[in-house]
Amino acid sequence: MTQDDILSKIQAEFPKIEKAAVQVKDYLTVKLASKDDLIPMAAWLKKEGFDYLEMATAVDYLGPVNMKGYIRQPNFNAFLPGGAKIEVESAAAAGYPYRPVIEFVWSVVSRTDRARVFLKLEVPRDAASAPSLVGLFKSADWQERENFDLLGVRYEGHPNLLKILTPDFLQGHPLRKDYVHVKDRYDE
Amino acid sequence: MSSAATSDRLFINLGPQHPSTHGVLRVGLTIEGEVIVKAVPDIGYLHRGTEKLAEVRSYHHCVVLTDRWDYVAAMPNNLVFCLATEKLLGIKAPARADALRVMMCELNRVASHLLFVGTYGIDIGAFTPFLYAFREREMVLDLFEMLCGARLTYNYIRLGGVMIDVPADWTSKLKEFLEYFKPKLDEYDQLLSFNPIFMARTQGVGLVTPEEAVSWALSGPNLRGSGVAYDARKADPYCGYENYEFDVVVGKEGSCWDRYFCRVLEMRQSVRIIEQVLARLPEGPVMASGVAKVPKPPAGEAYAHVEAARGDLGIHLVSDGGMSPFRMHVRAPSFLNLAILQEKLVGMKISDVIAFLGSIDIVLGEVDR
Repeated sequence: MTQDDILSKIQAEFPKIEKAAVQVKDYLTVKLASKDDLIPMAAWLKKEGFDYLEMATAVDYLGPVNMKGYIRQPNFNAFLPGGAKIEVESAAAAGYPYRPVIEFVWSVVSRTDRARVFLKLEVPRDAASAPSLVGLFKSADWQERENFDLLGVRYEGHPNLLKILTPDFLQGHPLRKDYVHVKDRYDE
Repeated sequence: MSSAATSDRLFINLGPQHPSTHGVLRVGLTIEGEVIVKAVPDIGYLHRGTEKLAEVRSYHHCVVLTDRWDYVAAMPNNLVFCLATEKLLGIKAPARADALRVMMCELNRVASHLLFVGTYGIDIGAFTPFLYAFREREMVLDLFEMLCGARLTYNYIRLGGVMIDVPADWTSKLKEFLEYFKPKLDEYDQLLSFNPIFMARTQGVGLVTPEEAVSWALSGPNLRGSGVAYDARKADPYCGYENYEFDVVVGKEGSCWDRYFCRVLEMRQSVRIIEQVLARLPEGPVMASGVAKVPKPPAGEAYAHVEAARGDLGIHLVSDGGMSPFRMHVRAPSFLNLAILQEKLVGMKISDVIAFLGSIDIVLGEVDR
């Protein structure tokens, strides 16, 4: 099936679904209008043969920020020595639409059609949550835990949403663009 | 523990420093007699935050980071990052570079599966195959050392092609190795694959149904061991894999032995592919022209995936037009393969835990990234 075939099939079932503005190169990428669409959409796709949840991730579009005065979630550390420096590590690219949103990205694969569909959902950074897909795809379990750990996004209905990769003492979510690393004993 | 039903329960730690966990993996096991009633894998001991590190490095520097995920098969890691970046940049590697990429990835698959055969034998209690498998693995690593100077972290596949063309007498050395290696595969089968004790320990143990394998998004030999013929090299060909003849090996029932034997048979297919590449290695440059020293791909998103030794390795790359990736996500096959542990270990005997864990063939560098 070509990308257009899949898209028209999806739109026949879900008229609100549109092609995303930024396409993942070479693959069909659709944008969900709201997070309520995710579960019906994923369930329908699973029924249509897209039964392999290949990837679940998220992107923080805040952009490189000047940390001074822009720390939403300062990493609380009671043992912080005075004067921990905050450094801007990468420069903003001109003309790129940075915005305070987190975009969820899922990709589901149909092994029979050899096709892949990317689903995208934009949510505000301050209330970054989406329904959990654990009920449909078991592989969502650890991937959602990873995203929760690294990006601080929540998945409603996940049975065991705990940190998975970073150590227990680490405060904050490292892949958020406004994450500030505070020097600890491992930096010395 | 108050009730009589739970009073026999015992909590034991498997790892994090245990030879059979192949790295630093801890599994918290609750056992009742010999039977596992709860298993909680604890990972992250090797987390180095490579996705974050990539956000402050140029694209060329990121290739170095990729070597450190699956360090026993680093060529596909290099390749997948380069493929994703090349999609963003809109460049294409020349034909000879593509052929070399395929050759190195398959050779690396052989080295990686040899490591698996050896260490899995040890896990089950057969020490000898380890020595034989490592003897051959050494030869592959020597070939890689001759090629790029490194034995594990190659950094050989670069944006736009490969680092350097093969040295003058390298292909003849490779042909020598292949001729030496092919009969050895039969030796392994005699020594380990069809050894009655090994088969008794692994056949019918740790069964994973095709539905479970798909739902847990297993990939690589773990998925194919359950009889699901999904291979990125066939389903979504890259680097000209569609031009080579090879079979997708599948298992029958999804037991530990099936997963093991899939890898053994995959080595034969890899040898087949390498021979085809050698037979028609195109001439020409090994690096595309016009790859900038500090590439700044136009803003956009790309996803590339390859069939690495452990499964379907994918990279989701977002560029904002700057000199480093805005966001890089690694779809690590070992991470997803390992997740099934929490479900499948329940109800198993303790002695089968090692058999199952070994057959999943994880590399903790890739699990934790």
